[in-house]
Amino acid sequence: MNEEIIVSERAARWRTYAIAFLITALIFATAFWASVYFNDRRIAEVRSAQDNISIDILSLETQFDLLAAHSCRDISENSVLSREIHPLGEQLSYLETQPSVNQEALRSLKRYYSLLQIKDLLLMQEVSEKCGLKPIFILYFYSNKGDCENCEGQGYTLTALSQMYPQLRVYSFDYNLDVSALQTLIQIRNVEGSLPALVIKDKAYYGLKTTADIEKIIPELATLKKATASTTSQTR
Amino acid sequence: MSGIEMTVTYTLLFVALYFEIFLLVSFLEKRTGRQVIRPKTQDAWLPSTCIVVPCFNEEASIGSTLSSLLALRYPADKLEVIVIDDGSSDKTLAIARTFETSPQVRVRVFTKENGGKHTAMNLALANTEAELIGCLDADSIVEADALTRIAQVFADKKVAAVTPGLHVWKPRTFLQHIQNVEYRLAVFNRFVFATLGALYVTPGPFSIFRTSVVRELGGWRHGHSTEDLEMALRLQAAGHLIGNAPGAAVYTLTPEGLVGLFRQRIRWTYGFLRNAVDYRHMFMSRSHGNLGLITLPAALISIVTALYFFMRIVWETVSAVLETYARVQLTGVFPQPSFELFYVNTSAMWLLVVVATSIIFGLICVGSRIGTGRHFPPAATPLFLFLYSFITPVWLGIAVVRVMFKMGVNWR
Repeated sequence: MNEEIIVSERAARWRTYAIAFLITALIFATAFWASVYFNDRRIAEVRSAQDNISIDILSLETQFDLLAAHSCRDISENSVLSREIHPLGEQLSYLETQPSVNQEALRSLKRYYSLLQIKDLLLMQEVSEKCGLKPIFILYFYSNKGDCENCEGQGYTLTALSQMYPQLRVYSFDYNLDVSALQTLIQIRNVEGSLPALVIKDKAYYGLKTTADIEKIIPELATLKKATASTTSQTR
Repeated sequence: MSGIEMTVTYTLLFVALYFEIFLLVSFLEKRTGRQVIRPKTQDAWLPSTCIVVPCFNEEASIGSTLSSLLALRYPADKLEVIVIDDGSSDKTLAIARTFETSPQVRVRVFTKENGGKHTAMNLALANTEAELIGCLDADSIVEADALTRIAQVFADKKVAAVTPGLHVWKPRTFLQHIQNVEYRLAVFNRFVFATLGALYVTPGPFSIFRTSVVRELGGWRHGHSTEDLEMALRLQAAGHLIGNAPGAAVYTLTPEGLVGLFRQRIRWTYGFLRNAVDYRHMFMSRSHGNLGLITLPAALISIVTALYFFMRIVWETVSAVLETYARVQLTGVFPQPSFELFYVNTSAMWLLVVVATSIIFGLICVGSRIGTGRHFPPAATPLFLFLYSFITPVWLGIAVVRVMFKMGVNWR
C-alpha cells in the first residue's frame, strides 16, 4: 500500500489539537491510576503476608504455652518466621520510595511490621530462656527523616551480615514510628536519638558499625560461621 | 524525585506523548479523507526537469547514481542531468564525463572549485531552463518511476517543492539496520507533516523544486551546512507549499559506523538549531499554521527532552554504580541481583515511557506500510527503540555545545 501524494494547506485545525490533548490527558490519567492500583496491590500483598505471620506467631506462642519445654525442638528449629519477616522489611522500604503509595496505609503496615518484630523478639527471648538456647539478636534503630546520614550504610551492613550468618536475627525499627510498644522498647533498651543505633546483648552502640566492628562485638558469629560452613560441607 | 524534577519530567513526557498522539490523529484524519487537498494529476502533463548531482570525491557511487537517473521512466526530452563536480580530487569527474555521451538523457558535467553543495546547486540553477529542479546526492539512487510520481504534484500551482520517500540503501552494518528503522519512522513523519502542511526539511536526495520559485527566493544558501533545511524553511516562510510523495522511492547510502553517523547527525542538528534561530519568527506563529504551532516547536522540544532524559539516566546509573561500590566497600559483599514481581517498576513515569515507546513502534509500522507496503517493521526495530535513546542524545548534546560556542560543523 503506497500512500498517494500528499500536499496540504498548513492552517491549524483546532479540533485535531483538542482531540490529541484529550487522548494524551486520558493516557496520563490512566498511567497515574494504574500506578496507584499496582501499589495498592503491593500493600494488600504485604498486609496479607503480615496477617499470615501474625497467625504463625500466635500459633507458635500457643504451641509453646501448651507444651512448654517439650516444644523446644520444634520452635528452635522453626526459623521460617525470620525468613518471612525479613523480606517484608525490604518490601516496605521499597514502597517508601514509591511516589504514588497511599502513605496512611504504608504507615499502618510499618506499625504492624514493628509489632510483629517485637512479638517475634519476645517469643524468641522466651524460647531461648526456657530451652537454654543462645541465639544472637541485633536490634537496629534507624530514621528515614533525612537526619541519619549513616542509616543507609548501616542497613547494607546488616543485610550483608544476615546473608553471611542466616541464624543471626536482625530486627530493624524506625525510631520515629508512632507505636507505643516500640517507644516502650526504645525506653527499656535506653536507646537515645543518635542514629543509627544497634542494641547487641543489651548494650547500645551508636554510629555506623562495619561488618568487622560487629564481628568484634559478637565473637560468637565466628562459631556460627564454622557451623554454617560445616553444615554446607555436609550437605555437599 | 524532587517536586521540580517531577514537574519537569512529567511536563516533557506530556509534550512528547502529545506530539505522538497529534501525529497519529492527523494521520487518521487524513485517512478518513479530511483536510487534504488532493492534487489533480494529469498523466500527460509532465514538466521539464533538471536533476543536479553535486559531488565531491564520490568515485565509488557516482556511476550508480547517474545510471539510476538514466533509467528514470520520464520523457527524455523533458529530463536533463547536470553533474557538478565540486573540486573532487579523485576520479569522480572522469566517471561523470563518460555519461555525457548518453543517448537517452541529456547529461552535462560542470567542474568548479570546492565551494559546498549550495554553490553547486546555484551553478546548475544558472545553467538550466527546466521548470523543475532537483538534487540527487551522489550517494543515492532512485526508483524508475520516482520522478513521474513527484512531477505530477506540481500540477498544483501552489506547490513549490515535493519530497520523496527516503530509504536506506541495502543496510549491511548494525548501525545501518538501525538507521533503516529510523528512516521508516521518518517516512511516516514526512507523510503526516505534509498532511499538516508543515514539512521543514526538503532532503538532499531527490527533493524537487519549482525552478521559478527557487530563483525568486534567490537560490540556495549555505544554511549552516544544511541547505536543504534552510530552503524548506524559506519556502514555508514565503507561503509556498511543500508536498510529499512517499511512493517515490529514493535509496541513500547511510553511514556505516559511529564516526560517520555522528558527523552527519551533528551537522543536521547543528543546522536545525542555527536555522531555528534564523527563522525564530516562525515558532509559535499562528500565521505559519501547524508548522509554527507544532512541528517546529516539537522538533526543538524533542532535543531538550532527549537530553534531559539522557542526563537523568546517566545520573541515575552513575549514582547506582557509586552506591553499589560504597556498599561493597562497606560490607565486602556484592549485592545479589534477583527478580521478583513485587519490585517491577510500575511508576506512572515508566508506564508512560512504555506507552510512548509503543506508539513509536506503531508509527514505525505505519511508516513501513506507507513507504514499502510491508505489514511488518524492520527486524531491527527493537534495537532502534532501545539503543537510539542512548545514542541520539550524544550527538544532540555535541551539536548544542557547537551552537552555543559557534564552533561550526563540517560536511566530512
